[in-house]
Amino acid sequence: MPRVRVDAAKCVGHGRCYVLAPDVFGEDERGHCVVTSEEIPAALAGDARRGAANCPERAIEVEG
Amino acid sequence: MSRLDPERVNLFDAEFARCPQHLYTEMHSRCPVARMVLSDQPVIARYEDVVWALRHPEIFSSEMEIQMGLGTERPMIPQQIDPPAQTRYRKLLDPHFSRRKMEALAPPIRAHANQLIDAFIDAGRCEFDEAFAIPLPCTAFLHLLGLPASDLGLFLELKDGIIRPHKAQPDLPFDQAPAARAHSGKRIYDYFRETLDEREKSPRDDLLTALLTAEIEGERLSRNEILDICFLLLLAGLDTVTATLGCNMAYLAANPEQRRRILANPALIPGAVEELLRWETPVTAVPRLVKRDVTLSGIEIREGELVTLLIGAANVDAERFDDPARVDFDRARNIHTAFGAGPHRCLGSHLARMELRVAMEEWHRRIPDYAIVPGEAPRYSPGIREVMYLPLVWER
Repeated sequence: MPRVRVDAAKCVGHGRCYVLAPDVFGEDERGHCVVTSEEIPAALAGDARRGAANCPERAIEVEG
Repeated sequence: MSRLDPERVNLFDAEFARCPQHLYTEMHSRCPVARMVLSDQPVIARYEDVVWALRHPEIFSSEMEIQMGLGTERPMIPQQIDPPAQTRYRKLLDPHFSRRKMEALAPPIRAHANQLIDAFIDAGRCEFDEAFAIPLPCTAFLHLLGLPASDLGLFLELKDGIIRPHKAQPDLPFDQAPAARAHSGKRIYDYFRETLDEREKSPRDDLLTALLTAEIEGERLSRNEILDICFLLLLAGLDTVTATLGCNMAYLAANPEQRRRILANPALIPGAVEELLRWETPVTAVPRLVKRDVTLSGIEIREGELVTLLIGAANVDAERFDDPARVDFDRARNIHTAFGAGPHRCLGSHLARMELRVAMEEWHRRIPDYAIVPGEAPRYSPGIREVMYLPLVWER
């Protein structure tokens, strides 16, 4: 299974990930990124990579 | 090739304001750290350098209320305060400016966009800045704060009194501008002081009331802290979206093939908003005060220097963007910094994006084909690239 990791220390709430890939990324009260589960279905790997690629803080990593 | 000198940057040159992208590209290849004409202060052009500076407020500080001279009596919150104090304010303010909260404002903004269009659509022409780009963000601001729509004119006057005091007083001597700004600043504080008094007596479901009752680690904000937040919201939230609306429409009017892509597929609008934020970057630069000697792209920058981070240049850096001169509404990877980066990321970015998207959707739904009036040219203001004159025509 592909894995998604978000570095909360880097996230400042641009919100690009959860706008572009809402099935993978969510937002907390401040609008910072939250991922409910690190492991994601393979079908969502493309979405996850799109979110990661568009993070201006490079706070997201996708493996697998 | 631009006639502008990439080594001696003049942000106030009219050609730079109109079309800065050529100059940015020359800077990347010739002088990633240039100098400002007259002041000789450093200007940073590479994406990596700009974002590194934005992410290191302990070196590149925003605490420069005095240097900015914007008619304030104290630093604006949270913009002119660095972490860790700034982080406490952002924790309190971010939830009020989240994407979710801003989306809830979309229906009234959509309705207002349509009212504005109603007023000029039958004429077959308008001057876009005055008729649409200026009033729309101001109305959004009034909605957000829970202020009466009838205060629109007053707010435009107050923010112009700070940002461009020469608009109201064209013959104002240069050395009297600070006093004029301080006078406008005092009026801004007075206005919000009175309104906060009213909200204390009769609370409402609005941001001002929320600020009066909000707590950081068990403590309420002081009256001055709330005023310093309000001052920033007024100054930061109006001109920036006005400028972006103008830049977008000027681009789409001059590039009908790109406009037709939006008309054929309105779902492209959010991507177009992002890509035009990157390409046009209406807020071309942000200043920072250097707290200790540092080296960027091999160039030494000294403690005490006031640097210009040229985010417009960062956004067309070929090291970070594929084919940066191509405007692609489907760009797969768009990490533009039009809203900055790091801890000072624009508090209003989600509000701005919502306003821009709604405005683009409604305009193109109702006025799909338009052009710049033949024989005329848009006029851009320097610094923040507001298209101060954008005459548009369309078939009635």
